[in-house]
Amino acid sequence: MVEPGATDLTLDSAPLLATEEHEVAIIGRSPWYLAWRRLRRNYVALASLGVFLLIVICCSLAPVYAHHVAHSGPNDVHAAEQVRVSGVLKPVVSGGAVYDPKTNTFDVKPVVYLAPTWWHANGRFVLGTDKLGHDEAVRLLYGGLNSLKIGIGSAFLCTFFALVLALLAGHFGGWTDWVISRFFDLIWAFPVFLLAIAIGTALQVNGFHHFGINIEPGSLWIPTLVISYVLVPYVGRPIRGQILSLREKEFIEAAIGQGSGPLRVMFSELLPNVASTVLVLFTLIIANNIITEAGLSFLGAGVRPPSPSWGNLIASGQDQIQTAPWLCLIPGIAIVLTVLSLNVFGDGLRDALDPRAKVRLEH
Amino acid sequence: MTAFVIRRLIGMVVVLFAITVLTFLIFFATPGVDPARQFAGRNPDPSTVAAVRHQFGLDRPLPVRYALMMKRLFISRDLVSYGNQALEVVPAITAATPVTLSLVMGAAVLWIVFSILTGLLAVVFKGTLLDPLLMILALIGISMPVFWLGEVANLITLDRWHDTFLFSWVPPNGYVPLTQNPWQWFLHLIIPWLTLSVLYIGFYARVLRADLLEVQSEDFVRTARAKGLSPERVLLRHMLRNSMITFVSLFGLDFGVLVGGGALLTEVVFGLPGVGKLTYDSLQTLDLPVIMATVIYGAFFITIMSAVVDVVYARLDPRIRPT
Amino acid sequence: MTGKRRWGWLLGVVAIAAGLSMMAAAFSAAGTKSRTPSNPQAFPKLRAVLDTIDYLDPQQAYTGQSWWAMWDVYETLLTYQHVTGAAGYKLVPGLAQSLPTISKNGKVYHFKLRKGLKYSNGHKVVASDFKWAIKRGFLATGQGVGFYTDIAGAAAYAAHPTPNGNISGIITNNKTGSITIKLATPRGDFLTILALIFAAPVPGGTAPDIQNGTIPATGPYMFKSYDPNHSFVMVRNKYFKPTKYIPRGNPNEVDVSLVGDADTATQMVINGQADYSNAAIPPDRITNAKSKGRLVLRKTANTYYFWMNINEPPFNKLKVRQAVNYAIDRKKMQTLIWGGLGLPTQNVLPPTYPSYRKLNLYPYNLAKAKQLINQAGANGAKVTVWARQVSDSVDSATYYTSVLNSIGLNATLTTLPKSTYYTTIGNKATHAQTGWARWLEDYPHPLDWFDVLLNGNRITDQDNNNYAWYTNKTTNKEIEALKKAPVLTPAVNARWAKVEKQIMQQAPWAPWSNRVFPEFFNKSIPLKCIHVQRLYGIDLARLCK
Repeated sequence: MVEPGATDLTLDSAPLLATEEHEVAIIGRSPWYLAWRRLRRNYVALASLGVFLLIVICCSLAPVYAHHVAHSGPNDVHAAEQVRVSGVLKPVVSGGAVYDPKTNTFDVKPVVYLAPTWWHANGRFVLGTDKLGHDEAVRLLYGGLNSLKIGIGSAFLCTFFALVLALLAGHFGGWTDWVISRFFDLIWAFPVFLLAIAIGTALQVNGFHHFGINIEPGSLWIPTLVISYVLVPYVGRPIRGQILSLREKEFIEAAIGQGSGPLRVMFSELLPNVASTVLVLFTLIIANNIITEAGLSFLGAGVRPPSPSWGNLIASGQDQIQTAPWLCLIPGIAIVLTVLSLNVFGDGLRDALDPRAKVRLEH
Repeated sequence: MTAFVIRRLIGMVVVLFAITVLTFLIFFATPGVDPARQFAGRNPDPSTVAAVRHQFGLDRPLPVRYALMMKRLFISRDLVSYGNQALEVVPAITAATPVTLSLVMGAAVLWIVFSILTGLLAVVFKGTLLDPLLMILALIGISMPVFWLGEVANLITLDRWHDTFLFSWVPPNGYVPLTQNPWQWFLHLIIPWLTLSVLYIGFYARVLRADLLEVQSEDFVRTARAKGLSPERVLLRHMLRNSMITFVSLFGLDFGVLVGGGALLTEVVFGLPGVGKLTYDSLQTLDLPVIMATVIYGAFFITIMSAVVDVVYARLDPRIRPT
Repeated sequence: MTGKRRWGWLLGVVAIAAGLSMMAAAFSAAGTKSRTPSNPQAFPKLRAVLDTIDYLDPQQAYTGQSWWAMWDVYETLLTYQHVTGAAGYKLVPGLAQSLPTISKNGKVYHFKLRKGLKYSNGHKVVASDFKWAIKRGFLATGQGVGFYTDIAGAAAYAAHPTPNGNISGIITNNKTGSITIKLATPRGDFLTILALIFAAPVPGGTAPDIQNGTIPATGPYMFKSYDPNHSFVMVRNKYFKPTKYIPRGNPNEVDVSLVGDADTATQMVINGQADYSNAAIPPDRITNAKSKGRLVLRKTANTYYFWMNINEPPFNKLKVRQAVNYAIDRKKMQTLIWGGLGLPTQNVLPPTYPSYRKLNLYPYNLAKAKQLINQAGANGAKVTVWARQVSDSVDSATYYTSVLNSIGLNATLTTLPKSTYYTTIGNKATHAQTGWARWLEDYPHPLDWFDVLLNGNRITDQDNNNYAWYTNKTTNKEIEALKKAPVLTPAVNARWAKVEKQIMQQAPWAPWSNRVFPEFFNKSIPLKCIHVQRLYGIDLARLCK
């Protein structure tokens, strides 16, 4: 029962009154918690996040698979061996043209590559073999490891730099904004393949050993840095756009009026408000980077053979696409699955963070 | 508006200049690159290499060479390739441009039509199974690397099912100019068009759907419905128009990138001798004049489309002011 | 409700329209025209597809494909017989009346030009045109210019080439048609160098800038047109008179398209859009191609090998180099890399050479290889293997790397772009240990191999062609001595064979293959039409003759 005199609704008595009516304290929920709750109920998004994490875990376990299951490293050649598949002994690579010295002619016959054994050979050559007798499943996992390292690593770098630049451009405006926007234009207009091939080539022989940074030739850092560099505008422009519109809001004016310096405004006021956009963009950019890396490796400008990557597995599988189509198809399917799961999860994340978000991606 | 245009133009020139300088420097920072050696053949005397170097002005300081190359590219337009002295760079690019344009414009028509159709269908059938199905298809389209899709398309149409009636008409990879044989031009481009547009159909369908749904809750739509207009009319004449702003601006950017050489992967997989393939080939052989020309061509298109899109966007949406 | 049904209708209509148009496209016969000439013996027009050419200028062209076309357009003083088999390496008179007389010291060569020779524009061919051709090579810094620097006065001319300058070593007389060439030092391969198209006479005063197909011809054919990177056309040269050694040629016209993609070129031949293609059909498709067309396999003079730098550990130890040779399963490599279209080799020279004696110094023996590595104490030695970014180079080097790892070395592979590969591995400062290489002959003489690739006296710090940095007093001396022998007599050939064996005993190389190239014809062309000349490939002059 409410005590007489305590029914006046004042600022001080309001929470007390509300508690008494409802018997349970109303706890304010932060938008992050609300977002989490929405995400939790989105089973499709969670499932696809699960798929992505599963892929990451499988690829991380590549050395374990190579050692214990397939008994083969990613670059080990088994061309001369024979494998027992479902009890039948089959050569890994066989066939090919046969030369008859007596008639001085070649009897042209196709080369036969061992097709995927799907566990019928005790874990060896589960996904078949390639031109040189490698265990394709091992290469797929190692390749995935490389592709994911580059994709996720470059996404971190890219988002970080894009965020910093966008904050600077959006907050300071004027000349800073003009310079940074032109810088975005410059990067955007520079063909990513040229940069990748040129830098990759320039560093191929000796690596980069200046300013205390040591990059070995053939290191994964080269494609990582290149991809993160060229995708900075992709992330930077939407964030800058959002910051520009935020800047007009009153709470920024209030913060500046209170005497907050630029750093404080950027980190305490602007950053939290773009955080949800950044998070969604980050997820989507991992997907984008994985595809970009695959494209670069396909053209020979990313991960160089014999190090595998999903992109260069497809490239080297091109030559055998008619006799060994699994070499092209399987890495492609791996890419599609990974990117699709990221995209679905990214969608779910965006819906959860702001059901009416206007995150626009230029790509 | 004029001030904006002028500022954009200045920015564009600055960007182009910076890109050419960067390209030039990267090229010469690459170890082992020696165009004189490449010219001089397989087994040259050191004196031959020196003579070649002098003949092509390769022994002069870098800024001079840069200036000379720019002059030969823009003013006298007789810049020759390092790989083949008979190949003039500017005609090579002008010959490759129609191929890229054919590819990109055809794909653009396809993706505009199908993405609008898909987006509209998804909105109309929202709540039924068709909407999420279409969106999943769109997502799958976005998730497929275009070069892989092209390889699979080649596998199916040129190899596995080539002998069936479905694909027997598919000609071998390559390009036939429109002026030479329009029907063959068309046949050679169908599969590349479809492959290139899949990615964009997926993306634009989603963008359009998201925009349409957002517009659906706006007041003017409710007014139109209340006035008694049919749902189709509301959809096509009122909602679609207002949702096209983002669509148009994104389209402009994508089109610019593709025409500027971004369709490189598709051109390589299908053997179409367009600007993208020219870029790729010149990068393989580190042929600086051709690289330079393709980079400038690409950067020019991209920046100009970017500026055009900004202007168009500002005109379409009076709430936005161009900066 | 109504809206949805209306949209459903629209969907259905669109689907049906799409299906109908696909069927329409399928039923319209597109492009499968197979051509069967009614009389395959008469060949009005040969439609060929080449992957690439560089130039159609005799003093510039340096690819096998360009030479294939130009052999029948720009004749040289000496040429090769238009026959198949080993006799195709025999030098015979071309524009000269006969093989030259050579002075005893091997320094003076004397020719006489045939009488009544005319270019395709009707002008007379005179002796000084030969001199102009050599001068033009220097003026244009053509790619073959280095071959002719041993002519007396040529080196001085090359330093400052001018149109009116003189090469003292070439003396010509237009009235008598005599051509005398004096060498500064004797060269055993000079005759074959003279047979290179670089030395094809061109009208005096022809400008040194690149002329693709416009220089008048002296052979059975001439160039009618050339579209760079696209196509060129050859037609009959009506001023050509056939000789004992140079036949008239069969096709009236040769239309060549330049198509870089091997699959497209092969498909064009299968479809009947072309008659012949020289594309390197991938091993994957070759069986398919064989069943749908006529496949001829051509052995060319090439050797694919892995070089080992004898200055860099662990390859400074002979046992290590020999171990590597023992460890390579050459037979398996042919299957893996070429789909079987290659022949295993342990020789420097390819089998097409008269001096070739098959070597089998290192039969495949993995155990022995491991043992040798142990004995040399090279277990765990770090090795970087170099390859260029072309698929067959990467594949063979990948295999090679795994072989090195299997015998106890610690090898990794590094790849470089095509355009920087040779300059990098030919640079002493790189300290490259081992890697991929191949050599395609320039001309059929052992000097083109041993002098360029394995003569210690010609090692340079940069742009070196001797990637093994191989030098050996005995073999260097013998190569220099054999340089002076102007004719390949059986005795000379025996000496070359001995040098080869000595070199392979030192194992600076691990040669592994002589590759075989496909020549692909449309099914309608009978096998007896096709004659493969050992040096120049498909003989246009004898197509169906």
